[in-house]
Amino acid sequence: MTVKNRTRWIATGVAYLITFVILLPLLWLVLLSFQTNENILSNPFSPAHLNLANYQQAMQTLNLLVMYKNTLILALVSVPAGLVVSYLAAFALTRMVFRGGRRRVQNSVRYYFLAGLAVPVYILLFPVYRLDIAMGLFGSYAALILPYIAVSIPFNILLLTGFLREFPEEIEQAAVIDGVGLWQMAWKVVFPLMRPVIATLAILNVIYVWNEFPFAVTLINDPTMTTLSLGISQFQGAYGADYGAMMASATLVLVPQLAIYALFQRQVIAGMTAGAIR
Amino acid sequence: MNWLTGRRRFTLMIAPAFLLYTLYMVYPIAYSVYYSFTDFDGVAESGFAGLGNYRTMARDAVFWTSMRNTGIILAIAVLLLIPLAFLVAVLLSGNVKGSSVLRPLVFAPAIVAPILVGLIWIFILDPKIGLANALLVAVGVPARPQWIGGTALSPYSIAFVYLWQQIGFIVTVFYAGLKMLPKDVMEASTLDGASRFQQLRYIVVPMLQETFGICTALVVTGVFKVFELVYALTGGGPVHLSEVMVSYMYHVTFTTLQYSYGMALAVIVFLAGAVASVTTLVVMRRRAAA
Amino acid sequence: MSTLTSTVARPRTTRTRRLLIAAVATVLVASPLTACGAATTAGGKAAGDSVITLSMHNPDSKTQDPATYKIVEAFNAKNPTMKVNLVGQPVEQHEQQMTIAAQSDTLPDVFWVYNSLAQTMNKNGNLLDLTPVLAESGLNGKFAPPMLAGFRNGATQYGLPYQALVTGFYYNKDLLAKNGVTLPATFEELVAASKALKAKGVVPIAQGSNNSAFSVWAFLTMLDRFGYEQKYPGMLLRASSYDNPDFLRLYEHIDELAAAGAFPSNMTTQTYVQAVASFTSGQAAFVDTGVWDAAKIQQSPVGGSVGFWPGPTFSDGVGEQKLVMNAPSAPLVVSAKVKKDKKKYEAVKAFISFYYSDEGQQIMADNAQPPVTTYKPTVDAAKNPVFADVLAATTKPGWSSPQAQPDLVVSAETASAMYDSLYGVMSRSLSPKDAVQLVHRSFK
Repeated sequence: MTVKNRTRWIATGVAYLITFVILLPLLWLVLLSFQTNENILSNPFSPAHLNLANYQQAMQTLNLLVMYKNTLILALVSVPAGLVVSYLAAFALTRMVFRGGRRRVQNSVRYYFLAGLAVPVYILLFPVYRLDIAMGLFGSYAALILPYIAVSIPFNILLLTGFLREFPEEIEQAAVIDGVGLWQMAWKVVFPLMRPVIATLAILNVIYVWNEFPFAVTLINDPTMTTLSLGISQFQGAYGADYGAMMASATLVLVPQLAIYALFQRQVIAGMTAGAIR
Repeated sequence: MNWLTGRRRFTLMIAPAFLLYTLYMVYPIAYSVYYSFTDFDGVAESGFAGLGNYRTMARDAVFWTSMRNTGIILAIAVLLLIPLAFLVAVLLSGNVKGSSVLRPLVFAPAIVAPILVGLIWIFILDPKIGLANALLVAVGVPARPQWIGGTALSPYSIAFVYLWQQIGFIVTVFYAGLKMLPKDVMEASTLDGASRFQQLRYIVVPMLQETFGICTALVVTGVFKVFELVYALTGGGPVHLSEVMVSYMYHVTFTTLQYSYGMALAVIVFLAGAVASVTTLVVMRRRAAA
Repeated sequence: MSTLTSTVARPRTTRTRRLLIAAVATVLVASPLTACGAATTAGGKAAGDSVITLSMHNPDSKTQDPATYKIVEAFNAKNPTMKVNLVGQPVEQHEQQMTIAAQSDTLPDVFWVYNSLAQTMNKNGNLLDLTPVLAESGLNGKFAPPMLAGFRNGATQYGLPYQALVTGFYYNKDLLAKNGVTLPATFEELVAASKALKAKGVVPIAQGSNNSAFSVWAFLTMLDRFGYEQKYPGMLLRASSYDNPDFLRLYEHIDELAAAGAFPSNMTTQTYVQAVASFTSGQAAFVDTGVWDAAKIQQSPVGGSVGFWPGPTFSDGVGEQKLVMNAPSAPLVVSAKVKKDKKKYEAVKAFISFYYSDEGQQIMADNAQPPVTTYKPTVDAAKNPVFADVLAATTKPGWSSPQAQPDLVVSAETASAMYDSLYGVMSRSLSPKDAVQLVHRSFK
């Protein structure tokens, strides 16, 4: 065996070990979801009474179809819209220059956006609730969509401005020589090359919307608007909690989510190879 | 290469993001700052309280405990999470067999809802019914450490769970950065006979300054937002010993109904997070420029 | 760095703007298109009917609060032109949402909140004075005075008791017998029993503080056995201190109990629900909880051999020792806005009348909740021995109840400090002296 081959096998072994350790807690979750609530709380190490009762309970209590529908609507509107507005702003902040070179304005605006990264979402709840009421949005999807976009902006801008700055000038120069205008530059030349970042952001934003709890629990008060992230809390009573059903509904939400991500991930890789800057 | 342009176009391109962000993020912060100077209880009309809430905070032992715990998590996250995530990204971007299968799996924890992360880890870290101590017993270690719920280990355990939760996410950002590196640089250095480590240290790391900056800023701001983990794992207990800044703010605002004091805590959380992340970004930019 | 001057012509600028507007519009269009889900909470009733919303602290009342669920069901069946729409969320989120709703004047018609929040809302004018409702429905004679007193401010009756809190220890008779322990009566006997059980590897008293710091019911009653009812009005006025020799003595006793190994090793990481589960699976001999768990315990594997015990008496206590907690829990309150809508007002009145009628209270008893009125329910002791045992404890000759549970007559902040002080000593993270001082500091 050559040295190169050996290092490859060691690297593979280490990679598999790390992956296993990272996955262990999730496997434990799935295992627990097949145990009775009693067992989970008192004797989780005896896999003697595995059954599907928790899944039945979860299916009965949760209207999964409605929850998937609502979550999808929220994600499909807020994520693309958030990416479009963020990309426009990020492009303006990094690739534009004013007469007289006002870099400082751009930098200040960038930091203005980035400061949002530090905002703990719990201080937004009361004011956003009041804003939604004042604008007559409460009870509609927009009541959640608008804050979801706003919350995604700082991170989107951080990543987009970062990658736009590292973007090689030569491509732009070549395009300008070809007589390309600003709008076309933004969308037809630069945007396609940013596909890996955009795809990565899309995935992360979808995950955020998928899991978002504090806004959802504050701004949704209608059972027909319930989202997936509220599912687990349905089993949290004042004087009782059904951990088995929680684990089962968590699994029911997680597994498809992971499958979708795994599928989408191939797209990301494709985007990366196509867009790689050589 | 930059695009010389008029102020109007610039304004137009910035406007949608700027408006939404200002309305839904900046206005609420202003709102919180305002209420932090009152004695608002969350419901009834309020009076002006000046710096009263901030004075209370300075004397509040639990606030300082929550600062210390947040600091512990921050230190562990920066010192362990960033290098570890970078190494895993390098590992996965190399020619590991089946890395296309491993990549989504490593990312899996980042998909899990934060509140669920806490719930899962209770059943691992609980000193009595948790998996961790059961494994210890299985391999013959007699000690049954109180990972959570005791007076000593909780913040470290929370930091570890935070590391688990974030690693897939940070790995992905590093991975995207690695994939955007020009291929010829790597190939050239391999031909030159640079060892893998030298290649990383002197070629890859310097070229990924911006990515390192982004990841550090993300981890740092993330630490100041840790909440659900603590909430589910220990509820901040026992007796608030494992409270972090946001969980304590939540407790004060929603459990003990001291709304204005909660907002004062929120303002400090925000300031601490903003200062930490902007410092990170500025330092990283300096280093990148140097 | 090369810089180029933009030579973009005018039409393109217009196009830029149009596309920008389109981007923003994508966001805004989503609202009217998708807002249709919002207003359809009435479900199946005609437009002319009066629908009121009852917002509770359980997301799935059917399984988590069957008494309320069944009362609503019976009410809706009896009143074809009225409908109570029962909604709910977990306690914390519910409290949070009610607080925000009070700020924005969007409270539901009838809802559950902790008394401390209800008091704040009442001060702010969010709540309806229920005095006329009680009078018009002829309900005044139905309550024992303490059941209403806690929810009154001057002449304003802002709330009504939702359910009764009967709290204390359940104990596993078989487990005690198997380990040669008899049911204790005094505190010294409880310490001795704990030591004996601990030595046999049994968890003496199941407790869980994670996300349930309030689960110290039996210990709150012990405060009453050290003169809490006489002392607390002075504390509220800052005329006397929680840090007094009597309370310190109690906390030293609790410390003694903790030292005897009475509490499980994972007390601070398990929730109270887990604590109950360790009792119902036969791993713990006692559990500190209340009547709401009677049905769950009855149906569990240990259900056949469980009794109810109000807690230990103290030879060095203050005042009456034969105390069993049987006090109103949190109130049901009504939004002040209901008064502006005549139909709603009538429906709320009808619902309240039904809730506190003998029929309503019997539904409560059928679902293992003691009545909050003076109604004497019929309970089949052979079928529900655990619930019957709890009810028997409340009517035992020579035993009486405090007027209110200690944590419900102080601010939310002090209540939280009380829970911390008790769990702090039980987990041995706080010394008795630190614990009483912690509570003392919370009085403002």
